[in-house]
Amino acid sequence: MLVYILKRLAAAVGTVFVIMAITFFLMNTIPGSPFLTEKSTPEQIQLANEKYGLDKPLPVQFKNYIVNYLHGDLGVSLKMQEGTPVKNILFKQGKFRLSIKLGISAVIVAILFGVPLGCLAAYKRGTWVDGLLRVLTTVGVAIPSYVLAASLLIFFAVKHQWLPTLSGSLDSFKACILPVVSLAFYDVCYIAKLTRTSMLDAINQDYVRTAKAKGVKNKWIVLKHALRNSLSPVVTFLGPLIAFIITGSLVVETTFSIPGLGKYFVQSVINRDYPIIMATTVVVSILVIGMNLVVDIVYKLIDPRITLSSTDE
Amino acid sequence: MKQAFKKLSPFQVDPDKVWADYGLNESDFAPATDAEKEEMVEIRKSVSYWKDAARRFKKNTVSMVALFVFLVTLLFAFVGPLLIPYDYANQYRNSQKLGPFEYSDQEKLIKSIEGQTDCMFATALQPGSTTALDPGSYYFKYKGTTYCFSFEKKFADSVIILKDGELSTVREVHIQNGEIKRSTPLEYTTEITPGAKELTVVKKVFPHMVGTDSQGRDILARTMYGARVSIIIGIVAALIVLVIGSIYGAISGLCGGAVDFVMMRIVELIYSVPEVLIVLLLQVVLKDPLQVWFNTSKTWFANALSTLGAGIVSIFITFAALYWVGMARIVRGQVLMLKKQEFVTAATALGASNGRIIKRHLLPNCVGQLVITTCLQIPSAIFLESFLSFLGLGVSAPMASLGSLCSDALGTITLFPYRLLFPGTVLTIIVLSLNLVGDGLRDALDPRLKK
Repeated sequence: MLVYILKRLAAAVGTVFVIMAITFFLMNTIPGSPFLTEKSTPEQIQLANEKYGLDKPLPVQFKNYIVNYLHGDLGVSLKMQEGTPVKNILFKQGKFRLSIKLGISAVIVAILFGVPLGCLAAYKRGTWVDGLLRVLTTVGVAIPSYVLAASLLIFFAVKHQWLPTLSGSLDSFKACILPVVSLAFYDVCYIAKLTRTSMLDAINQDYVRTAKAKGVKNKWIVLKHALRNSLSPVVTFLGPLIAFIITGSLVVETTFSIPGLGKYFVQSVINRDYPIIMATTVVVSILVIGMNLVVDIVYKLIDPRITLSSTDE
Repeated sequence: MKQAFKKLSPFQVDPDKVWADYGLNESDFAPATDAEKEEMVEIRKSVSYWKDAARRFKKNTVSMVALFVFLVTLLFAFVGPLLIPYDYANQYRNSQKLGPFEYSDQEKLIKSIEGQTDCMFATALQPGSTTALDPGSYYFKYKGTTYCFSFEKKFADSVIILKDGELSTVREVHIQNGEIKRSTPLEYTTEITPGAKELTVVKKVFPHMVGTDSQGRDILARTMYGARVSIIIGIVAALIVLVIGSIYGAISGLCGGAVDFVMMRIVELIYSVPEVLIVLLLQVVLKDPLQVWFNTSKTWFANALSTLGAGIVSIFITFAALYWVGMARIVRGQVLMLKKQEFVTAATALGASNGRIIKRHLLPNCVGQLVITTCLQIPSAIFLESFLSFLGLGVSAPMASLGSLCSDALGTITLFPYRLLFPGTVLTIIVLSLNLVGDGLRDALDPRLKK
């Protein structure tokens, strides 16, 4: 187990390095310079380039990034908040915290609603409950998050004014509802679908028949015997789920005017603020890769049949 | 025969008695003649894999309805623009921010006299920043006759009316309460003078069924056009993924060993990249160089791509760079599974070449999986494109995709919610129907997977 984790950690470090290289290469191919404005003269640009070390050859710049990152230094912003350390922008100004708050709430909501709904559909299979849930989940995975977000906004915030239109920094519970629901809806539906399928699979297994023969109640069979064995596809989905949540949060942050990481990243790309682009990519990559690692280990814990040594199965 | 029966029978029975009891004859046990055999042969034709799949698909009501709905959206996207007189790019100066089935003041004036004429041309219905006609000659055709006329001054705020073969012009101020108060006859010839421009005449004012946007563009026309762009992007992107993914996966699966190991590590690497961030970067990086390449290159390839626009091409490149990994994994898995099957071993033992094994044994068995994955890839490509366009990347104005339409509408969502909901609903219907068709295909092509 330990060997496996160490191996995966080594691979993760390699992946982060490659992602840094790709990001560095891509962001330097964006035409233009962060210091290029209508007023700036070539001398000013030259000076600014020297100040931030952008005049050095690209390999040297890349090496500097790596060395600084290993020392925990994420650089300073070049343009959007000139001179401010990127670390402060991401962590102290609450951008990262906001996105994480939104993302984690959405993941929790997705699991808390998705799994029970899937169980319910499997338990009541063939009835109108199952039918209704099937229609709902099928439609749910086809609605783009921004359409859902906009519809919810119109109905709950504009028409009835039950909830605020601008969610700001997600301080109150009320402000969280709409963004979290629109972010989590797709995943609730997807997880419910997954759970239902794997639950029906599990229900047809021999050990469920044995339990039934022993006289265990239907409810307990579903909750105790079938659920535990049908959770593995859901756990596998958690990896992609984190990625989906990041994608979705960009859109939801735009719709509800939340000053989170996603929006800031898009702006930093457009403004060519290299250190912010790099830092955001690295932080998010570490998050996603780390989550995938955790998911794989959890996967092993709940399903001992999985062998960890072979990673490509 | 009776002796044989006696020998074989486990009980001591008298064959004569049995024979008599069951009314059997010695001839009942004679071997069948050729003619009799012929009669017994099943005359049903063998059913091919695809026919069988088609039959299963047709039985699936949900998928058939979904397929029908998708065909309707195809009609909406590809035939629809031919049926309405508005265009996705044309801006109507006087008809900005109209609601569904609302008319601008000029349109109302013209609508009030539409029953009294054979056909008409109104400057107010012309697209563009200025609706006046410059001095010069113009013509239009109506019921086989050509009407050609010319103006010496600028022609504005007026309507040209054809009634009982008489052509006349009416100023907008002379239309009151649905009556034409004053009109001036317009002289015309039936020959087209060289250099004359054609005008489009209308019989009735066509309503803006979903209203217009703040630039005065018809939202229905834009949605139809956007749906077309989105569907094309989805299909092309899915095909790109199909080609790259299946070739990569097949090579990896067939070669095995070190090649497979290295290729799969690359796949894993791409898989763990937070793709959204890289996609956003790629979009920004690619846009300008592509534009430069389009403007300078003279090859037919660049010309063909430049009609699509840099935004769409960079979406294709993104798919080619990042999204093939899922397909590659599936194909590799299929190839690995099939490689171990007995029929492949048998073919190898019979001396079949590698090429033959791929063509005759591996490919046909993979096709079902490929079709299913490609079909399900289309909606996810449409999703990604709409997401990028929503963030302001992707296609750029005046081109439209369903995502960019929603994005444009977001600013005025509290006033005009239908501007977002209409394209959003079309997008949902397209994705939903394709998802359901994909599910149906999976059940039909690969019945083992059916849950």
